[in-house]
Amino acid sequence: MKLMAELDGAEHALELTRDGARVAAAVDGRRYELTARVLEPGVYLLQLGGHVYECRVDDAAASDAARTVTVGQQHFQVALRDPKRLSHAHSAGGAGAGRASLTAAMPGKVVRVLVEAGAHVEAGDALLVVEAMKMQNELKAPKTGTVIEVHAQPGTTVNAGDVLVVVE
Amino acid sequence: MFRKILIANRGEIAVRIARACRELNVAPVAVYSEADAAALHVRLADEAYLLGPAPSVESYLRVDRIIEAALAAGADAVHPGYGFLAENAAFARAVADAGLVFIGPPPAAMELMGSKTNARRAAAAAGAPVVPGTTEALASLADAQATAAQLGYPVMLKAAAGGGGKGMRLVARAADLPSAFDTARSEAAAAFGDEAVYLEKAVERPRHIEIQVFADTHGNFVHLGERECSIQRRHQKVIEECPSPIGDPTLRARMGAAAVEIARAARYVGAGTVEFLVSDVTREFYFLEMNTRLQVEHPVTELVTGVDLVREQITVAAGAPLSFTQDEIDWRGHAIECRVYAEDPEQNFMPSPGRITSLRLPQGPGVRDDGGVYAGAEVSIYYDPMISKLAVWGRTRAEAIDRLRRALDEYAVGGIKTTLPFFRAVVRDAEFIAARLDTGFITRFNERRAAAQGHATHAAAPESDQTARDLALIAAALAHAERTPAPDGVATTTTTSNWRVRGRAAEQRVGDLF
Repeated sequence: MKLMAELDGAEHALELTRDGARVAAAVDGRRYELTARVLEPGVYLLQLGGHVYECRVDDAAASDAARTVTVGQQHFQVALRDPKRLSHAHSAGGAGAGRASLTAAMPGKVVRVLVEAGAHVEAGDALLVVEAMKMQNELKAPKTGTVIEVHAQPGTTVNAGDVLVVVE
Repeated sequence: MFRKILIANRGEIAVRIARACRELNVAPVAVYSEADAAALHVRLADEAYLLGPAPSVESYLRVDRIIEAALAAGADAVHPGYGFLAENAAFARAVADAGLVFIGPPPAAMELMGSKTNARRAAAAAGAPVVPGTTEALASLADAQATAAQLGYPVMLKAAAGGGGKGMRLVARAADLPSAFDTARSEAAAAFGDEAVYLEKAVERPRHIEIQVFADTHGNFVHLGERECSIQRRHQKVIEECPSPIGDPTLRARMGAAAVEIARAARYVGAGTVEFLVSDVTREFYFLEMNTRLQVEHPVTELVTGVDLVREQITVAAGAPLSFTQDEIDWRGHAIECRVYAEDPEQNFMPSPGRITSLRLPQGPGVRDDGGVYAGAEVSIYYDPMISKLAVWGRTRAEAIDRLRRALDEYAVGGIKTTLPFFRAVVRDAEFIAARLDTGFITRFNERRAAAQGHATHAAAPESDQTARDLALIAAALAHAERTPAPDGVATTTTTSNWRVRGRAAEQRVGDLF
């Protein structure tokens, strides 16, 4: 498996092959032979020579966002890119150029809708108020433009990832 | 003593109360919503009663269902915890009317202090200084505008029935008042069923310091000293300490005496907290409000005084006199608590619900974790996202910070975002270590951090970290491989799928426990 990785702002080329618990890896050409055990989901015990490293990979982030990886007590921000998948993501994103969707970051209840389709909004204007976990959060316009779709009504429940408002 | 206590709450506080029950040989009875059938507080109780669907209005706020459960279980008393119905006088009355003991203050004291406007009047009558502002709920936006103009900006909008930062907004200028007024009112209505809000002049660079008071049914009133709760975000406390780093025994005695007088005036019984704003410059203090319940941050007082406040609540409710006198209270060492929330500190503390996939709790000398979750537990969208309170004790504040730093580094939660990374940075912050605290701390801390990150981006990593950095990348790739189904058409060796099977098997084992 070949991946591109970004760690704290720097790019790295990553190669990995596995045979059971045995892992052979290369990072920018630096070669590692190690054994890996999964202790719990997201918790890896990597044995390299005479050293043992506990690594925790944060699995709460969205799939292509940077993840926090903890090695011992050191924390790193790691974002991985699979070159084979990159082309897909790009073609999908291209179709929506000029539009920006406001999506729900988490499940919640729509309390107020402050705009209608056709309205002009400035980036940062409050578009609607969603209540989640007892807090009311104002969701703001992702860009300046015209509201072309409103998919939220007061009192309705929304799920994470639902498109609430589209601004063009 | 009681035989059975129904705990009308959930999460970490329900677990905390169950522990006190066990120590007193009282059987704890749990209640739960449909979302909480597998929650830790249910697992630790002797019996559990279903209240209803997940939303709190259909479960943890259902007075009728809770009393039915208490009667069905044959409980003699009800402990409300904090939040939900803890400060609801109608609930306390309903409990008493059903022939059960409410573990908390008399309903009249709750009503007096529950209305923040009445509480301000009562405190002033008891001789305590109050922050300038209205003593009546605001009738309209026009009323709010006129009052704010009179007090001078910045002003603070607060829910009359409020607490926990809900329905509370700092308003810096007149233009922001209309929107803040609407939001505060609707948040107050949603949280407390009462949209009344009032205005106070905002004290600048205030420290938030509160006094723990306790009273019994025999006329004894004591205070257990202060807690410094200046580190807040969205007007919610996130780090609390006892004693206050101000370290002024005279100020403690004056505030303690004022708090006891307020409690006496309210004919208070049980555990209560009188909150004050203290000017960091003049050390003048102003009455803010009285919370007629146990506080989230009670562990720091317990660690420093050695008194188990929940145990004391139960024995006092059973009619016993306080187990200590004012003279016997001594403050030993220093304690600090962090509220661990399922929130993403990188996304403005947005809630981060989900399943906890792995959990390692800190242990060892001077460390106490009051948690309400376990590996495999679900953090629901329906309730407050606090998953645990981590508290540490040391002989000095510096020693307590050392322990806190160590405990935070040990603490690991997988599957959800938590406020742990934020706390790890705070305990290393020079201003925090120097105890330069006020309620603007987090805002200034975030600015310092953003500035520091701007500088650090191009700093070369030390050579010794190379292995750790490379292993971080390898671990991330291993996790990526487990998550990602094999892309079609790409050759996948059998050894790869072996790995995946093992990974899934490990996950399966964890899942099977629940």
